[in-house]
Amino acid sequence: MAKKKIHIENTVRRLRFNNNEMTQLELADLVGISRQTVVAIEKYKYTPSLELAFKIALAFNKEIQEVFFIN
Amino acid sequence: MNIKIRNTFTEIISVAIAIIWMYSKLNEAANMSIASITQVLVQGIGISILAAIFFAIVIHIVSAIITKSKEKNVVDERDNIIEFYALRLSNVIFGISLLIILALLGWFNLHINFGIIAITLSVFLASICSTFLKIYLYK
Repeated sequence: MAKKKIHIENTVRRLRFNNNEMTQLELADLVGISRQTVVAIEKYKYTPSLELAFKIALAFNKEIQEVFFIN
Repeated sequence: MNIKIRNTFTEIISVAIAIIWMYSKLNEAANMSIASITQVLVQGIGISILAAIFFAIVIHIVSAIITKSKEKNVVDERDNIIEFYALRLSNVIFGISLLIILALLGWFNLHINFGIIAITLSVFLASICSTFLKIYLYK
């Protein structure tokens, strides 16, 4: 299989606003990461580990594929 | 400026102070004994550690006064990855520096004092480079 970099995107920013306009800090505290990491995830500059991705999805009561997807 | 970048700047300031202090003490390294050179180097390392602690406390207090809030220092997986990249760069730079120093000592038949000083400075160089990488990745 040829090496091809996959670009993972997410809906974290939209989900935050849909959840009573949750702040980045609130989400960070909820999943146990820093606010800077939330910023990096929302800007697609950092792809979280599977464990963290599940935690974020659980924080929004969503399935992981509803939050993170390949574009 | 977040807490991680502030801590990183603290590292740069402390290393810079130690290098300047050692440079002022080692201006006649060729005429100094190995014992006195190593004393200066150990003192320099001690100064860099003390300066790092001092500036970390001062910058933390000043920041708390300015922002009027206590920022939590949460360490997560992204921080661990950045630390890992910085450590890897630091090791590479120190390894290359060590090879260059040994080669220069052998070819140009330099005094061993210069070797000891250069190795210590290469540790600081590796530290500074890894710190700049951390600042770049934390941005």
